[in-house]
Parts: sequence; C-alpha cells; structure tokens
Amino acid sequence: MTTTIDATLARRVNRGSGENAYKCYQCKKCSTGCPVAGFGDLHPAQIMRAVQLGAVEAAVDSRFIWLCTGCETCTTRCPQGIDIAAIMDELRMIAREEHRVRSDAPFANILKLNYDSFRRWGRLYEVELLALDKATRLSSLTDDVVMGIRMFLKGKINPLPTFGDRAQMKRMTDVADRINRDKRAVSRAMDLPDTASLPPASPGGVR
Amino acid sequence: MSRVAYYPGCSLHGTARELESSFVGTAVKLGVDLVEIPGWECCGNTAAHATNRLLATALPANEMAKVKDDMGLERVAVPCAACFARFMATNHEVEDADTAHDVAQVVGRPYAGGVGVLNLVDFYHDEVGLEALEAKAVRPFAGLKVAAYYGCLLTRPPKITLAEDPEYPTHMDEVLETLGCEPVEWTFKTDCCGASLALCEQAVVVELVRKIIVNARACGAQAIACACPLCQVNLDSRQGDIKKTDPSWIDVPIVYLSQFVGRAIGVGAADLGLKKHMVAAEALLA
Repeated sequence: MTTTIDATLARRVNRGSGENAYKCYQCKKCSTGCPVAGFGDLHPAQIMRAVQLGAVEAAVDSRFIWLCTGCETCTTRCPQGIDIAAIMDELRMIAREEHRVRSDAPFANILKLNYDSFRRWGRLYEVELLALDKATRLSSLTDDVVMGIRMFLKGKINPLPTFGDRAQMKRMTDVADRINRDKRAVSRAMDLPDTASLPPASPGGVR
Repeated sequence: MSRVAYYPGCSLHGTARELESSFVGTAVKLGVDLVEIPGWECCGNTAAHATNRLLATALPANEMAKVKDDMGLERVAVPCAACFARFMATNHEVEDADTAHDVAQVVGRPYAGGVGVLNLVDFYHDEVGLEALEAKAVRPFAGLKVAAYYGCLLTRPPKITLAEDPEYPTHMDEVLETLGCEPVEWTFKTDCCGASLALCEQAVVVELVRKIIVNARACGAQAIACACPLCQVNLDSRQGDIKKTDPSWIDVPIVYLSQFVGRAIGVGAADLGLKKHMVAAEALLA
C-alpha cells in the first residue's frame, strides 16, 4: 500500500468538525474507553494521529470510522476536550465525498438508507430500511430473518410508514443540503493541493 | 396538572411501541398532560450528524420552534435517548450565532434555544418528582434487584446532556428505589450496547451485549432497566444469539423504566406491553 501524505487533511477535518485535531497528544484515553476499539483495524488514538500526519489512507479508508457507534465516551473523556466522535463523523463525510467508502463497511450503507428514509417519509421507516439493506447488500440477506419474524409477530415491527410533515422535511433537507454543499466547497477550495506519495516501505526494513 | 409537549420519535411508533404505551400510560396516571407535537419529524439520528451537521441541528430546532411558538409550551418530553441527545445538541449548537442563522434558513423561522428537554429519567425524576411518584406507587416492588442501565446518550457528552455525573449517574437508580426496587451497584451502567451496528455488525453487538448482561447478573440484578429503544432491543433480542454458543446462558429481562413505573402505579397490562419482549418479563413484574 502506498502512503499518501496530504498536509491538508487535518485542516479540512478541523474546519468541518469545528475541532482541533492537533491538540491530541496521544494519551490514548479515547481508545481505552472505546467499546469497539478491539473490533476494527485502528483505534481512535491512531485515527487522531493519522489525521495529524495527513495519512489519508489510514484515516479516511479505515474500517474503524464505520464501526464507531457514536457513544461519545472518547469525547467525554478526552483531557484536551476534543470532540473525537465529531472527527469520526467528519472522516465519514470526507470518505463519502471522495467516493472512498470501503466495501466492508456495511454501516455506511445503513446510514445512507436511514438518511434517505427519513427524507422520503419525514420519519424513519424501519421496515423499508431493512428491506433496502437486504436488497443492496447481499451479505445481509440471511441476517436476523428469524428474529425479524419473531419481532413482527410480537407487534414490534410496524409494516407501514407513519408520516411527518413531509413538505417541511423536503424544504429543510433541500436548504440544508445546499448550504452544506456550498460551505464544504469553499472549505475545499481554501487549501492548495499539498500531497506526496511515499513508496512502500522496503521489506527488509533498515538497509 | 403540568403540561409538556411530547416528541415520540420514530422508534416509539415501531420497535419501541411498548415504550410509548407505557410512557403515555404513566403520564396519564401521574397527572402530566402530554401534548404531541403536530406533524413531528425524525430527529435525524446518527445518519444526519454523520452526513450533514446543519440538517442534524435543524431537525430538532424545527420541533422545538413548534413547541415554543405554536404550542406555547416550555418543555418537551423525549423518551428516546437518541432523540434526546439530538435535541440537547441543538440547544447547545444554536448558542453559536452563525449556526443559529443557518438553522433559521433551514427551518424557515428562528429558534434560539430555551425549550427544556426531558428524557425518560428526567421525566420521572424531575418533572413528576420522587415524592409525588412515591405517593402514587400503589403497588410498589418488594426489593426487586435491578441494574439501572443508562447506556450512552442519556449522559454523554456532558457538555451537551448537562448530566451531573456522566460516568456513574444515579437518577434512574433513585427512581427505581422510589418504586421499591433495590438498584445494584455495577460496572457497565454507561457502556455502549452497540446501537445501530445491530443492523450490520451483529457479532460486535452480541459481544457488547453479553459483557453488559454478564456484569449486571454478577452484581445481583434480576432485571435491567433501560431508557433507550436501541438499548432495549439490543439487550433483549441478542440474548437469543448468545444462547446459540452458550447453552448455559440465563436470560435477564430488559425492561423500560416506564414499565417499572407503570407496574408500580397501576398501569394496565396492555399499556405496559411486556408481552412484546423477547425475554419474558411478565412474571418478574407480575
């Protein structure tokens, strides 16, 4: 794997999240409290270091950013007061914008379908989300089928959508999308490209 | 009788219907007049704040503008912990003038904060109050040992939720104690259940759920009380998955705080909705 160092990464993350990733001094309190640190490739403190370095592949392409549950333990415990969970959100947005969401990140699909669902109905339509996930992510086809049927029989699953104020939802999402798109375009234009590609490390280590 | 606005949120009309029926049932008996926000919309949940921050802030602002300007009310009850956290985040973020300006453009009118947001625990602990609750508890529990499970978003991050003790909160324990339960001291009060990873990273969620329930049981709990639809559905439904690899697993009922309150103040079985649970809870709360 080549390593791209993009000196603009931390600045973009900081502008998008309103945080300062450079304040992280690697105490790793975020990682020790993280419920999913052991399930991904990197853990939160490593993501923070990767952002500071501008190591785009390590940060933006990591599986970890799609495992973060948003539990806010890192944000709560960071001695530097960094909203680390907001930085994970920002990395997800960058991954989407740059079309580099990895294929083994099923949560990315769930979040997108969830976003589309509440935009369409004004409220989240749980059954539609699950059905579309199964249709667009074949590995999910057999997941939790028995449990789904049991929950349906228990009356825990509402087969029909319920509507919010759909006209107001459409208005709000259209305006928010436009403002968000414009602001992010301005943010991207603020940095001149500043990247370097490093060759893969030599297999022998020290030459 | 106090009057507060009510925002159910999507889960309460789906997988957490028993949270809605038990919550509304207790409010009626406790003399709180809940007024549902007309035409309420999704709070945006994780999907919004991981996609478009402005929309994530604006969606709850739209609801709270209705509460304040259209309904003339000062407080809104938000029983879903995830919705609650989004409402509180909006109140925090509109303190910034630039954000408030953009939010007003999205919503179509200004919202500058000022609506009080009550989660399920706040509703009983603060809106009703422990003394009033005790007075209404005609069928108190006889020392049932319960682990109060807060999960993530009732207390974190504290600058948003304004929780006074975010790492080891006690308000839910106090409500349970008022009802005659015996809350246990335990380790995983505020650990994450895996939330919506349950839809796609099942192995992770099963492991997180297993750790939480094992600790509650080891600390003597006969049941776990919760105040979040995702916590309830994950802890309740994933015990079946755990049993596939651990046949000696002993089920622990996962019960909404509103169901404990309802049982103690005499809300009927249909509204309590205990039949909807995967792990049988009716005998314990009979």
